[in-house]
Amino acid sequence: MDLKKLLNEKEFIFLDGGMGTMLQAAGLAAGENPELLNLTHPEQIEEINLKYIEAGADIFYCNTFGGNRLKLAATGKSVDEIIGAAVEIAQRAKARASRTAYCALDIGPTGQLLEPNGSMKFEEAYDVFKEMVLAGKDADVIVIETMTDLLEAKAALLAAKENSDLPVLVTMTFEENMRTFTGCGVESMTMTLGGLGADAIGINCSLGPRELQPVVEQVCAHTNLPVIIKPNAGLPDPITNEYNVLPEEFSELLADMIPLGIKIIGGCCGTTPDYIRATAEKFSGRKCEAKYKELGAGVCSASRAVPINCPRIIGERINPTGKKRFKQALAEHDLDYICNQAIEQISAGAEILDVNVGLPGIDEKEMMVSAVKAIQGICDTPLQIDSSIPEVLDAALRVYCGKPIVNSVNGEEKSLNSVLPLVKKYGTAVVGLCLDENGIPKTVEGRLKIAEKICRRADEYGIPRSDICIDCLVLTCSAEQEAAMQTLQAVKLVKEKLGVKTVLGVSNISFGLPSREIVNRTFLTMALMQGLDLPIMNPNIDSMTSAVRAYRLLANIDKNAAEFIENYGAEQAPVPKAAAADMTLGYAMAHGLKRDAAEITEKLLETTDAMEIVNNILIPELDKTGNEFEKGKIFLPQLILTAGTAQACFEVIKQKLSQSGEKEASKGTIVICTVKGDIHDIGKNIVKVLLENYGYDVIDLGKDVDPELVAETAVKHNVKLVGLSALMTTTLKGMEDTIKLLRERHECKIMVGGAVLTPEYAEMIGADYYAKDAKRSCDIAKEVFGK
Amino acid sequence: MEINISINVNEAIRYMGYREQPPAPQMEMIESCRRELVKAITPAWVYRAFDIEECDDGIKLAGTKLIFKGEDIRRHLSGCRRCILLCATASSKADELIRRKEAEDITLGYMTDCLASAAVEAVCDEAEKEIYEKLTGCWFTWRFSPGYGDFPLDIQPMIIETLNAQKRAGVACTDSLLLTPRKSVTAVIGVSDEPIEKGRRGCAICKMAGRCEFRKRGIHCGS
Repeated sequence: MDLKKLLNEKEFIFLDGGMGTMLQAAGLAAGENPELLNLTHPEQIEEINLKYIEAGADIFYCNTFGGNRLKLAATGKSVDEIIGAAVEIAQRAKARASRTAYCALDIGPTGQLLEPNGSMKFEEAYDVFKEMVLAGKDADVIVIETMTDLLEAKAALLAAKENSDLPVLVTMTFEENMRTFTGCGVESMTMTLGGLGADAIGINCSLGPRELQPVVEQVCAHTNLPVIIKPNAGLPDPITNEYNVLPEEFSELLADMIPLGIKIIGGCCGTTPDYIRATAEKFSGRKCEAKYKELGAGVCSASRAVPINCPRIIGERINPTGKKRFKQALAEHDLDYICNQAIEQISAGAEILDVNVGLPGIDEKEMMVSAVKAIQGICDTPLQIDSSIPEVLDAALRVYCGKPIVNSVNGEEKSLNSVLPLVKKYGTAVVGLCLDENGIPKTVEGRLKIAEKICRRADEYGIPRSDICIDCLVLTCSAEQEAAMQTLQAVKLVKEKLGVKTVLGVSNISFGLPSREIVNRTFLTMALMQGLDLPIMNPNIDSMTSAVRAYRLLANIDKNAAEFIENYGAEQAPVPKAAAADMTLGYAMAHGLKRDAAEITEKLLETTDAMEIVNNILIPELDKTGNEFEKGKIFLPQLILTAGTAQACFEVIKQKLSQSGEKEASKGTIVICTVKGDIHDIGKNIVKVLLENYGYDVIDLGKDVDPELVAETAVKHNVKLVGLSALMTTTLKGMEDTIKLLRERHECKIMVGGAVLTPEYAEMIGADYYAKDAKRSCDIAKEVFGK
Repeated sequence: MEINISINVNEAIRYMGYREQPPAPQMEMIESCRRELVKAITPAWVYRAFDIEECDDGIKLAGTKLIFKGEDIRRHLSGCRRCILLCATASSKADELIRRKEAEDITLGYMTDCLASAAVEAVCDEAEKEIYEKLTGCWFTWRFSPGYGDFPLDIQPMIIETLNAQKRAGVACTDSLLLTPRKSVTAVIGVSDEPIEKGRRGCAICKMAGRCEFRKRGIHCGS
């Protein structure tokens, strides 16, 4: 169908009302699979479709909402059968109707939560949706609705766009706090789904038209796409399950939203053909009032939108360049370390995080995807995906939940041709470097020329100027002193001439100079005056972050100095006192004084061999705590506290060793995980910290881990000990399966633990050891490795 | 709906494994985690009342495909002609905060996890308050959840579907019958027009009976 034509021809497009509501009125039991009726009672579905068309629906939804392979699994019916039947029914209804209407393949959520809150992988969700899209190819339009997870909506939208040419409408479900259940905000939805190429976006379900009005207002304010509103008939009574808004009032409330700019209107739960008829009548003769608006630049995660309307700090620390410890973390696939870097920068003031995990010898694509998933699982700061390899960018852009920045494209043909299509497809912002085949132009004009070329090419792809961030490139001042001013002038010029945003890797300026911090800060301030929007810098250095904040204050951006005062006003945060001179490492560990412990360790390292500190202080202290825990003198949180503190000491030692190129002596390698089906991992994580403290290399496979992967890893690393965790009775089966497979493939000891396990059960499923707590797992490791 | 919940910190402290009041510095850590948790989460619940009748297989909920099997749920609902099906969650924001805290500091992560478990109970308490207000003049049993006693856990997906809990509260159920977000529960509350003994979650029907750390110490896991 030609949606554009329909949008032009009609002031408003009407959708249908509730399907479930009609089916339940016809006798469908709550909780029953409504899509089965496509096969068992096609005439009933056809009647409902027809009633909606006659009531005024221009687009009506096929009965396919939950027609995905997961929800149909128990029915024994295939997606093809169910969706095929639904579309046929719809076509019959169309043929019988007295007016023209189009049928939509209706795609609802899979019914499972995506990682990290659930266990479904993005790729799996994509496949589920793709199957629906292919099965519904004979529909006239695709509707993706009732989404609460932006990433799931994205998976569905990508599946639709990549496997069909039909127009796609997407609606998400918001609560009164202006967010979806997973915390997705309105702007994040409009930016992300708009960027991904949805043909119309909006909201459906959850609340009535009255409650949704403020959400609709926000949607209309943040998109130029046609806005869809499909509310419930008010709120259901939990006792009677009846909705409290009647057709007349429903239509009035919707008509009140015409001035907001709505274009596509329908009803969700509790609404019937009467609601649609009343609404179509109420709207008759009214004009659509949607207006074009400048949307401004911005990026987002699912729950945080960051408009680029003033200088924003991009944290540069997630990058291995020149950092031995970071390289080691990448080589060891240590995502915890990377997450820690993210958290540190965010608490220091980073508003966007650059993520670069390129290192020779590692699978950058896999690493980037893992890093993006891990970081977006623990924070809501938007990311800048930093790689020179298009395949890496593509893979990361798929799984990113929100609108990121791509870092970067440059003036070379090869780069333009490979990166810009990705930017367009995923609707991201992009960093454009002022360099090309001939290197970095020395002159301001030369850089402007490349920036112009990048913009021109982006225009051809339909990438808006507001999504382009030009990097005029910072050269090292110690090597080319005259270049600093050139860069700064170029920043001003490209901004004025091209209407783009600007970005600079600020810290490059001072390589090879003493007092780098002073140079960096001064250069940063100069650049901000030239109109720099996005400094890529180390936010952990307070003088840098405070320079940006002070700029925002002085430039009258930070109104009433609110942000500045919040960060620097009132009581200065107490400067952490240096550890008391006589404080011992043991004391700091026993009391969980992380910072002090790290500091003391650092001092000790000046005079004492690292392994001596480990063997003579850290381990005995951990043993002592472990014994006290066993005797019931202290409790689990205290054991963890000491272990966590020891972890901070080991981090200092690791840092030191990686600088000197030494490697810690490992006592042995242990594979641990939470078994297939289980997503409870805190116990496993505590065990990991303790085992690492005791000097074992731990390969942590995470949660919900396939037995195959456990066996494969155990074989690959020839490990002597595997630790399995499960918290629920229902997931003990996963544990048993894993043990069975391990026994077939590899000779090793297996320890198991978790709340519902007993020593008897552990024995029954064939484990060698039952670890009743984290402490015991360390004792077992000692037994197995003999040290 | 803005929901203010009040987490029972003492309960959370018990979940953490303390057998006495934590030392002051740890209390401060717990308190800061609690504040952050309450700020982060967006609790939600959905419930519906159903007429119930005993049938051959168990207890049937009118207008649904649900049949509750097991002796314990039958006893739980004896004397009731209706029941409330409840699903409550501390939201995916609780899971997210636990992950972040863990990455920051494992102890804070652990404390937040235990606090979030107590938070779900607090969310249920709030939901119950609302239920009591809606059904004045009725008497209620305590909250009985799938997995207690012989009430099978495999009813979980059907409860989620019947309540439309994913749409209405953002809660789903995995293949291995775990609720997601993790800090979520479903429960059955009996409703009677006659006074009934409210009772409480007892140890007799608990699967952990006999090896429960709480019982060994002579206390209970619930408050």
